[in-house]
Amino acid sequence: MSYASSFHERPPTPPVPAFAPDRQEELPGALPLYSFSTPAMGTEFTLHLYSSSQDKARSIAGAAFEEVHRIENLLSHYRPGSELSRINREAFDHPVTTDPETFQFLDYAFAWSARSEGAFDITVGKLMKAWGFFGDTGRVPTPQELSSIRSQVGWRNVCLDPDRRTVRFLVPGIELDPGGIGKGYAVDRVVRVLQDEPVPASLISAGSSTLYAIGSPPGEVGWKVRVPVPGKPGHILSTVLLRDTSLSTANYTEKRFLDRGHLYGSIMSTETLLPIESVLQVTAVAPSATDSDALSNVLFALPTHARASLLDSLPAVSALVLTPEQETAQPEAVRWPAPIAKEDCECSTMMEED
Amino acid sequence: MMNRRSLLQGLSLSILSATMGVSPRHGEAEDAPEVGDQPVTSADRLRIAVIGPGSRGKELIRQFLRVPGVEVVAVADVYELRFLQVNELVGKAVPAYKDYRQMLERRDIDAVVVASPPLFHAQHVIDSIQSGRPVYGEKTMGFTEEDNYNIVNAVTQSGQIYQVGHQNRYAPWFQEAIRRIHEGEIGEPTHVYAYWFRRDNWRRNVPDPNLEHLINWRLYRESSGGLLEELGSHQIDVANWIFGEQPQTVLGSTSIVLYNDGRTVGDNVQAILGYSKGRRMIFSSLTDNAFMGDQLWVYGTNGSVQLTVEDATFYGSIHHTITGSDHTDAVRRGVKTGASYNYAADDEMPYRGPGKRIDARKAEDPTLTACRSFVHCVRTKTQPVADVRVGFGSAMACTTGKNAVFEGSMKNVPQWKPPAA
Ligand SMILES: NC(=O)c1ccc[n+]([C@@H]2O[C@H](COP(=O)([O-])OP(=O)(O)OC[C@H]3O[C@@H](n4cnc5c(N)ncnc54)[C@H](O)[C@@H]3O)[C@@H](O)[C@H]2O)c1
Repeated sequence: MSYASSFHERPPTPPVPAFAPDRQEELPGALPLYSFSTPAMGTEFTLHLYSSSQDKARSIAGAAFEEVHRIENLLSHYRPGSELSRINREAFDHPVTTDPETFQFLDYAFAWSARSEGAFDITVGKLMKAWGFFGDTGRVPTPQELSSIRSQVGWRNVCLDPDRRTVRFLVPGIELDPGGIGKGYAVDRVVRVLQDEPVPASLISAGSSTLYAIGSPPGEVGWKVRVPVPGKPGHILSTVLLRDTSLSTANYTEKRFLDRGHLYGSIMSTETLLPIESVLQVTAVAPSATDSDALSNVLFALPTHARASLLDSLPAVSALVLTPEQETAQPEAVRWPAPIAKEDCECSTMMEED
Repeated sequence: MMNRRSLLQGLSLSILSATMGVSPRHGEAEDAPEVGDQPVTSADRLRIAVIGPGSRGKELIRQFLRVPGVEVVAVADVYELRFLQVNELVGKAVPAYKDYRQMLERRDIDAVVVASPPLFHAQHVIDSIQSGRPVYGEKTMGFTEEDNYNIVNAVTQSGQIYQVGHQNRYAPWFQEAIRRIHEGEIGEPTHVYAYWFRRDNWRRNVPDPNLEHLINWRLYRESSGGLLEELGSHQIDVANWIFGEQPQTVLGSTSIVLYNDGRTVGDNVQAILGYSKGRRMIFSSLTDNAFMGDQLWVYGTNGSVQLTVEDATFYGSIHHTITGSDHTDAVRRGVKTGASYNYAADDEMPYRGPGKRIDARKAEDPTLTACRSFVHCVRTKTQPVADVRVGFGSAMACTTGKNAVFEGSMKNVPQWKPPAA
């Protein structure tokens, strides 16, 4: 069965059940706030939570971070022992039977590929390597290098068989890189763990690019999240109050390198095999962190009209998009829940130095 | 290639002929059947049941479901929340039992995975074996001396397959490093220093105080051997493998530095295990500093090896190489004169140069290899490498060692006896 053909009509459903707030315990007002962090997935995960004791907070953070590391061991393409690396190594030689969770994760990632006509695509592994974004600091590949990997990129070359739970690559050289969705998934899994504990108010952050807020701090409507102006340290575009929902930001300048005065970002077009330069930053708010993470990249990669129609079809999602053309104009804001600081919108161009 | 070799190393001929710690040699690999992720026929279906699908049990379910043909058909646990978690994990409603004995009455179970706390291992393993099923049993094999002998007897008397959850035995970089150690690459290995450092309180959050002992069983002596049994058991297994025997003595020590929260096991543990010919293993576990992580150093008379969860690195002999050959050349040809400005660190400084790393970039998670290998053993009716004797070697050191640790004393470790007929 060709996987690609079966997917177009099916709307993606997040792989982790949505968080259902159920908090009868102590009000956070009476409780101290604890903060913990752990390095994982090439960034730092942070957990802020209100808890009745340090011991309890520590145990909860322990369970949360155990889950983060479990997901890293499942999905890291840097770790040879991860399930994803095993699939990358073997799925061209034979169909790889995987566990239900990994299967569902891949199924979901490819559902976003279908939904975005391939603009979002986790088969970018080789492309990221060619651009030096795999553990390196970045480099411009030659046109020959790019054309030699063209056949190794493309989600339609991956076949998932739900009956056997197998993954198979139809061409050699495919490498899955879950960078555009994995951290969101890890955040959702942590939310799931915190749901079992449960905690009255908490904020989990995957290196600040994906966050999920549970409840809100005492006396607040939500957890404050500041959306910066890219390339302008200290300038804030908007401050969102987040409660029982997630937010992700994909940013042109977050992972990038400078070569001969040109700044190259790491969100790639699978069509041109070049970094996308038509967008500076996307922030998406969505009920699931897997979704907001994927969506921030999907919206980054889509052309303007497709972006608008996708957002039209997703009423639970709000987004704030900054493009270089917008220099002094309004950013694109769809259902954005907070005021936007207009005067800060003189966005930097691709030729920036910093 | 990795599959074939690691699979072969997952097999041994029989319990009785297996010499503890010695895995079959690579040469045999060529004749081994290839087990990759080939499409399976229904004859290859293997239906497993899990007793105690807690944290580790769920991980084993994930791993087993990566092996073609494996299905999870039932679970048993005293804590009902686990059933929901298993259903979420497997993606369907898995028949669930509060009493594992009822579960064992099912006719559709081909093998049993025991992942309950160690206190219950003997009961769960022996009942499963006696129900006629092969068992994948988590470490530490038994909780008491009696448990360990009882499991050995039940397994050997039934001829049933038993594999213990010491997955390091299935890690290709451990296999390769220990093969080279056995070939003499670092001379005679005399010491193993094992570190397992963490920075966490080892305590799980408990939704209801009545569940404290069920969930935090690791923190109380009546249900746990503390850090030696929970973490050290894996490393003692590696030392047993390297030295080719089980330890004879254990000297122990423990205290609570940070987590004075009512637990009765220590939050840091040190133990010295004595092997024959004066060889020693030193185990140290801290929970207030994660600097060393989980690693072992093997020191030999002619080099050292570091073993980690991801790789193995060999270091040659560093200082004071004293060779007995007579360097007549120095006399015959004379010595050379020249500039001498090569700086060398002080003799007593630790070596900070590079070593030679075993490339493990293609190795899958050893627990997956262990599960795959168990499935292969069940299908082909062969005994695994991590067999009951391997389980015994580490478990006995822990069952005795934890008492030495709690008392701050030195104890003799009961030795392997040929199983009762
Ligand atoms: N091989 C490894 O690397 C590894 C790693 C972690 C744990 N382990 C081992 O796995 C075992 C389980 O550890 P864990 O961390 O999963 O503990 P856990 O507490 O998370 O899970 C144990 C499960 O057994 C259940 N249980 C307790 N008593 C029972 C009984 N009498 N009958 C049926 N079920 C019962 C509990 O409710 C729980 O669900 C231990 O022996 C531990 O040493 C091995």
